[in-house]
Amino acid sequence: MSDIRLAWRNIWRNRRRTLLTAASIFLAIFLALIVRSLQIGWFDNLTKIVVQSYTGHIQIHKKGYWDDRDINNSIVYDDSLTRLVGSTQNVDKTVPRLEYFALSSFGKLTKGVLLAGTDPTWEDALTHLSARVVSGRYLDPAGKGILVAEGLASFLGLHTGDTLVLLGQGFHGVSAAGKYPVSGILHFPSPQLNNQMVYMNLAAAQDFFSADQRITSLSVTLVNPDEINATLAGLKSKTDGNRYEVMRWDEMMIEVMQQLKVKTAAGMIIIAILYMIVGFGIFGTVIMMTNERMKEFGVIVSVGMQKRRLSVILVLEMLLIGLTGTLAGVAGAMPIMIWFNINPLHLWGNMAQAFISYGIEPLMPLALKPGFILSNVVSVLIIVCVTCIYPVRKIMKLKVAEALHK
Amino acid sequence: MNIIEIKNLTKVYDEKTIPVYALNGVNLSFREGEFTSIVGPSGSGKTTLLNLMGGLDAPTSGEIVIDQTDITRLKSRKLIDFRLRNIGFVFQSFNLIPVLTAKENVEFIMQLQGVNREQRDLRTLELLKSVGLGNKINARPGKLSGGQQQRVAVARALASKPKFILADEPTANLDSKSAENLLEIMEKLNREENITFIFSTHDSRVVAKARRVITLEDGKIVGDVLKNSPPKPPLPLGEGTGR
Repeated sequence: MSDIRLAWRNIWRNRRRTLLTAASIFLAIFLALIVRSLQIGWFDNLTKIVVQSYTGHIQIHKKGYWDDRDINNSIVYDDSLTRLVGSTQNVDKTVPRLEYFALSSFGKLTKGVLLAGTDPTWEDALTHLSARVVSGRYLDPAGKGILVAEGLASFLGLHTGDTLVLLGQGFHGVSAAGKYPVSGILHFPSPQLNNQMVYMNLAAAQDFFSADQRITSLSVTLVNPDEINATLAGLKSKTDGNRYEVMRWDEMMIEVMQQLKVKTAAGMIIIAILYMIVGFGIFGTVIMMTNERMKEFGVIVSVGMQKRRLSVILVLEMLLIGLTGTLAGVAGAMPIMIWFNINPLHLWGNMAQAFISYGIEPLMPLALKPGFILSNVVSVLIIVCVTCIYPVRKIMKLKVAEALHK
Repeated sequence: MNIIEIKNLTKVYDEKTIPVYALNGVNLSFREGEFTSIVGPSGSGKTTLLNLMGGLDAPTSGEIVIDQTDITRLKSRKLIDFRLRNIGFVFQSFNLIPVLTAKENVEFIMQLQGVNREQRDLRTLELLKSVGLGNKINARPGKLSGGQQQRVAVARALASKPKFILADEPTANLDSKSAENLLEIMEKLNREENITFIFSTHDSRVVAKARRVITLEDGKIVGDVLKNSPPKPPLPLGEGTGR
C-alpha cells in the first residue's frame, strides 16, 4: 500500500465532506479561470487592436516627439533607418507615418483634422485600413486621393469624389495648403478617430507639409510579440539614443494601460477574496480531518510510522482533494473558455459604448493561455499546502499516549 | 534471559501543581517467552506502565532497558524506529486502520520495516491463518466482528517479529466467546512460538491463563506471582518488586 493509495482511501472515508470541499475548490477555480480568462482576453484583444489599429508593437521617433507631437520633431526617413530596423531580429513590418494637425474645409464648413501620411501598402498590412473603407476605394499608392473618416465626412457633408481643402502649418512653419479628392470614406469604432482622421499617401503628406523625406514615426510590428523586450533592446542599441526614442506600445498608451491595470487589479482582488473564502473552507476540512483522527494518528505512530511520513500522507490527502477540485474546475471552465475564445462575446449597452469610446471593438474573447490556468491551479495547491501546516504541526507535536486515550 | 529491565521507574502527572504518582519507583524484569498479566484497580498505573514499556510515553525518572537499549534516552525518531522493530501492540479498542483490509493492516507494519512484497505476502497470509482469519484477508475492519478485529490486531502486532507484545486490556471490548478464542490464540502463539505477551487486564479469564501475575496498586507493585511457583510476598510499599 503506497502512501498515495492510503491517502486516496482516507479522503473517501467521509465522502460527503470530501465532495463538498472539492466542490468549493471546483467553484473557486471555475470562477477564477473565467474571470482571468475574460481579463486576459480583453487585455490581449486591446493590445491587438491598439497595435494593429495604430501604434504597432514599437515606434521609433525623434527623441522627445511623444511628449511634444510637433511636425518639427520629425526624423529623416531614408535607407539607413530602413536597413537598420529591417536587420533587427524579430522585426516583421515597418510603417512610416507623417502625422500632424491641419484644418479641413468643404463648402462653408471647416474642422480640425489629424492628417496621417502613410505608405498605403504597409499601412494596410499593419492596420488593415482598407477593411475600414465603407464607400469609395482604398488609397492608390501613386494617386493623390485621400481617405476621410465617416464622422468627419458626415459633418462636412463630404462624399467620395468631392474635393477637400486642407490648410495648415508645415515643417519649420511653412504654410501648407492643398486640394485633395476624396477617394474613400472610412469607418472607425472610436468616435475620436471617426471624427478627425484623414489619410493620404506619405509622399503627398510630405509635399503638403513641405517635409521632404521626413516622418514623425516609424511603426514596427514583430514576428513574435512575446519577445518585444529583446527586440526593443536590439533597436535601442542600434539607434542613437540622443536622436531617437524607441518606445513600446504600452509606453505610448499610458492612459489605456492605467485603465487596464485598475481593471486587472479589481479582478485580482475578487479572485483573492474567492480564494480566501475557499482557503477557510479547506482549513475547516483540515481541522476536522485532523482532530477526529488524533487517536488513529497515535496508533499509527505507536506501531512504527515516523511522524514525518504520517504528515506527508496528510498533506497528500489534502493535495488529492485540492487536485480533484482543481482539475474538475479546469475541466468545467475549459469548454466555456474555448467556446468564447473562438466565438467572442458581443458586448452591448453601456459596456459596449465604453469599449467603443476607447476605440476598441465591443468584443470580449476569452483567453486560452496555459500560463494563467497553471498559475490558478498552483495558487489553490499553495493554499492547500498552507492549510496543511496545522495538521503537520499537530502530528509533529503528537503525544502518542495522550492521543491513544482520546 | 531478561528482555526488559525496568529500574526505579516513576511517572508523575501534574508535576507543577498537585503531583500524582502514576508509577512510583517500579522495578521489574521480564524474560523471553513470558505470558504475564498486570492487574490492579483502575488508576493503579497498569496502562501507564505499558505505555512506558512501549516507549509511548516518557517517564519522569527511571530506566527501561530493552535488549541493552535504554529506551528512555532515545530521541523521538529513533524511539519510533525502535518500536517498529522490537515491540508489538494490541489495543483495547483494536485500532485497526479502517481504510485498510485485514491483509493490508498486517502488511502495513512490514511495509514500514521495508520488507519486500513477496515476503510480506507470505508472512501476512501465514499470520492471518494463525489467528484463524485466512478467509477474511480482504475484509475491512468495518466488516469484521470485534473478536475478528482483535485477532487481526494480534496478527499485526506479530508482523514485525517483535521481541514482545504489549496488550492493553485486549479482551475488554470482546464478548466472552471472542475473548476466550483470542486468549487461546495468544496462548498458543506463546507456547508454540515462544512469543512474549504482557497484558494489562481486569479480565479474570486473562489472569487465569497468565503464568505470571503482577499486581499494581497506587503506582507500586504489590504482588508478583509465578503460577508454577509459590507466590512471592509483596515488598513493602514504595520499593517495587523485581525478579
